[in-house]
Order: sequence, then structure tokens, then C-alpha cells
Amino acid sequence: MEKTYFDRVHLWGKISSITALAVMLCIPVSICLYLNVWPQAGNVFKGLLSIIPLFWSVAVVEVVTYAPLLGAGGTYLSFVTGNISNLKLPCGLNAMQNANVRANTEEGEVISTIAIAASSITTTLILAIGVLLFAPVLPKMTAAGSPFAPAFQQVLPALFGALGAGYFAKHWKISILPIAAGILVLVFAPQLAVGTLIPVTVIISLLGTHIMYKKKLI
Amino acid sequence: MDFKESGFMYLLGGFISLFVIAQSLFFMVKAWKQGKKLGISAVTLKNTVASSALFTVAPAIAILATVITIAGALGLVLPWIKLTTIGNISYEVTAAQNALEAFSIKGGLAFEVKDKAVFAAAAWVMTVGCVMPLILLPIFLKKIQTKVGKAANTNAKWADLMAAAAFIGLIAAFIAKAVAGSGDKAVVGDGAGLLSVSTLIAAMVIMLVLQLICNKFKMKWLEPFAMPLSMIAAMGVAMLLARILPAHLVVLEWRG
Repeated sequence: MEKTYFDRVHLWGKISSITALAVMLCIPVSICLYLNVWPQAGNVFKGLLSIIPLFWSVAVVEVVTYAPLLGAGGTYLSFVTGNISNLKLPCGLNAMQNANVRANTEEGEVISTIAIAASSITTTLILAIGVLLFAPVLPKMTAAGSPFAPAFQQVLPALFGALGAGYFAKHWKISILPIAAGILVLVFAPQLAVGTLIPVTVIISLLGTHIMYKKKLI
Repeated sequence: MDFKESGFMYLLGGFISLFVIAQSLFFMVKAWKQGKKLGISAVTLKNTVASSALFTVAPAIAILATVITIAGALGLVLPWIKLTTIGNISYEVTAAQNALEAFSIKGGLAFEVKDKAVFAAAAWVMTVGCVMPLILLPIFLKKIQTKVGKAANTNAKWADLMAAAAFIGLIAAFIAKAVAGSGDKAVVGDGAGLLSVSTLIAAMVIMLVLQLICNKFKMKWLEPFAMPLSMIAAMGVAMLLARILPAHLVVLEWRG
């Protein structure tokens, strides 16, 4: 039987994830070889012990939450390059909306993969060029007194305001509950990291929408 | 020469960047070919690339700025490498901070790391702390996607609504943060306040106006760029407000 496009994406994705894992582990190994210094394992474990319970459980939640939204190719790519919730996911959503295709269809898969690949390449180039060329200037641009500083501090409200407007206008009935719930949670726990808040608002949004659908309110 | 910013470290950074670009290009070419087979027009495919690249510029510059925040302690190159691969500033800062604390370095990232062993340990902790998704994906992703695909095929309307609900849930978290979240006390403008809410509202209004213009004047070409343009314009509004409003209003943050 001939393999489907999805089968092939998963095969490429598996190979690329394992390759990426090997490449990433080469980073500390090559630094140690180059500097000819190996830190005491005890200290590395001590450092890891305090972050792994949180980071690795967040990783499980992120994979389960984002994978259905990003599509297969988009997920494999996004988890290599990172910055998913604040960049890759909104970028994929925007592209699918513009191309008028649905997530979890082959067309959605294609558009989301192309958008996330274009976004990953752009981010990598901007980071590389920025580090090489603008390193002396950048701290001045983003420093507290710079006229550009407020713009960079507000990049997330600007991004999600613009992205949200289209969705809220189209689906206002199902938007009210998750926004209200998110604000309510933060009223009581203002310090909560947005990464922890995302699974909460996503689950509330899914539950609310499911109930409204069952009750034929939408 | 500082070992943190030596030629070797830059070479390593260059290699990692090329790896990420090559991988992205591979997936893009495969998806592009499949898109043509499915009958998606070349214009739509090109627009997807152009608008995604434009969409990415401002957030990528913001990510670049975060490289600087940890460059004081770890040099420019290691934060650059880490933010190119599974990078996310909150993870990297936490990982690096914990690595330094494991060496009993009080103040953590506030001071420059001069000990090679500490630097290498930070690289290990920052890397191993973040690799879990790359272990999970090859094992579980196909199963997750197949289940979602089956559910989507049995009831298309419900599946569409659930997909929209999940997106809206994600966006809602960031909207709530801009309205009611507190930020880093040491950073002015990080918490919810006048500037964050004004930027949010400006972005929404500009986006709705641009969509209206697209529909009314049938400007199809503008549609893919409405979102990135609204985002950049809203950042411009934040800059403008910071200049024209009295200082006490600019820094007004109701959640600190």
C-alpha cells in the first residue's frame, strides 16, 4: 500500500527529531571538549533536578495541547525551534485563516507547515544577523530609556490583539468564557506564568464550546 | 579573548543555525510540492511564505532582545544558540539561573560567568532541561494526530468549533495576561497596565478596520498582511503613547 502524505511527514519528522536531539546534545559536549573542562556531574544534576520536574511535565502538556493545532509537520518543526505559543502557533493560525483552510485537513497541514518553516527560517536569520551585526546597538534600542523600548515590551499584546480580533469577531459566543476565566484566574493569582495559564484557558474553552454545541447554542 | 565569545563558539552557533534552516527548508519544499498536488494555487503558497515571514519580524526582534538580557552573564553566543533551538526566554533564564545556583553562585545571572566549568554546566542544564519534546514526538505524535484526525472526520462542524475553541483558549491566556497579569517587578511595562491594554485595543481595532477595508474594497492582496501590519502599527501606538502621555500614566500598571 502506498504511504499517505501524513505517513511520510511522520517518517521525516521522526528522523528530524532524533537528528535534532543528537545535534542539541552535541552543543554541551563540544563546549566541554573545546574548553577541555567537564563540570562535576553532581552540580549538573543539582541544577537539573530543580527544573526537570516542571520543564518535562510542561513538555508533555505542550505536546498534547499544541500538536493538534500545529499539524504534524508544523509540530515537528516547532518543537525544534521553540517559541511556539508566542510565535509559531499564531503564525500557523494566521496562515490557515488567510488561505481559508481548516486545521487537521491535508490542506491545513500543508499551509501550516509552510508558514512555520518560513517563520523558523526568518527567526533564525534575524537572530544570527542580529547577534553578528547589531549586538553593539541592540541593548541601546531595548534599554529602558529608548523610544523603541515600549514597543518591544508590548509585542505580545500587539500580536494577540491583532490575532484575536479576527477570531473573536467570528466566534464571539465561544470567546467570552475563556477570556473571562483567564482574567478571573489572574485576579487571584496575578503572578501565574502565561505558560501555566494556557492549558487552563484552553481546557475551559474546549469544555465551554463542547457544552454549547451539545445544547445547540452555537 | 573571552572564551564565551570565541571563534569556536560563533562557528557552533553558525552550524546550529544552518541545521535549523536546512530542516525548515526540507519540510517547506515537501509541503509545497504536496500543496501543488492538492491544487493550492502558487499565489496562496507564496503569500503564506511572505506573510509568515513578515509576521515573524517583530516577535523575532523581541526574541533577539531577550538574548541580550542573559548575554551579560553567559556571553552572546550561548543564549543565541539556545534561543535558536527550543528556545524560550523563560525556560532559558530559569535553567541558567538554576545551573549557576547549583554552583552556589549567589546573584546568578546578574554577574558575568568567568569559570569555564560553570559555563559548561549552564550549557548542559539549559540543553537537557529542554529536550523532552524531542523524545516525546517520535513516540507519540502520530498516535495523537491519528486520534484527532478520526474525531475531526466523524463530525466536521464539531471539529471546526473545537479547533477554533482551542485557538481562542490560547489567545485568551495572553489577552488575560495583558489585562490582569502582573509582570517582573523590576521591569517597567512588564505587568498589565495602561500601555498593555491600550496596545491590545489598538491592535484589535486596527485589525478590524483593515479587514473591513479588505472586504469593502475587495483588496485580496492586503488580507495576508492585515495581521502583521496591525501588530506593527499597535507597537507604534505603544511608542507614541509612551512619548505623549504624562510619565506617571505611561508606567501605570495596576497589577505591578
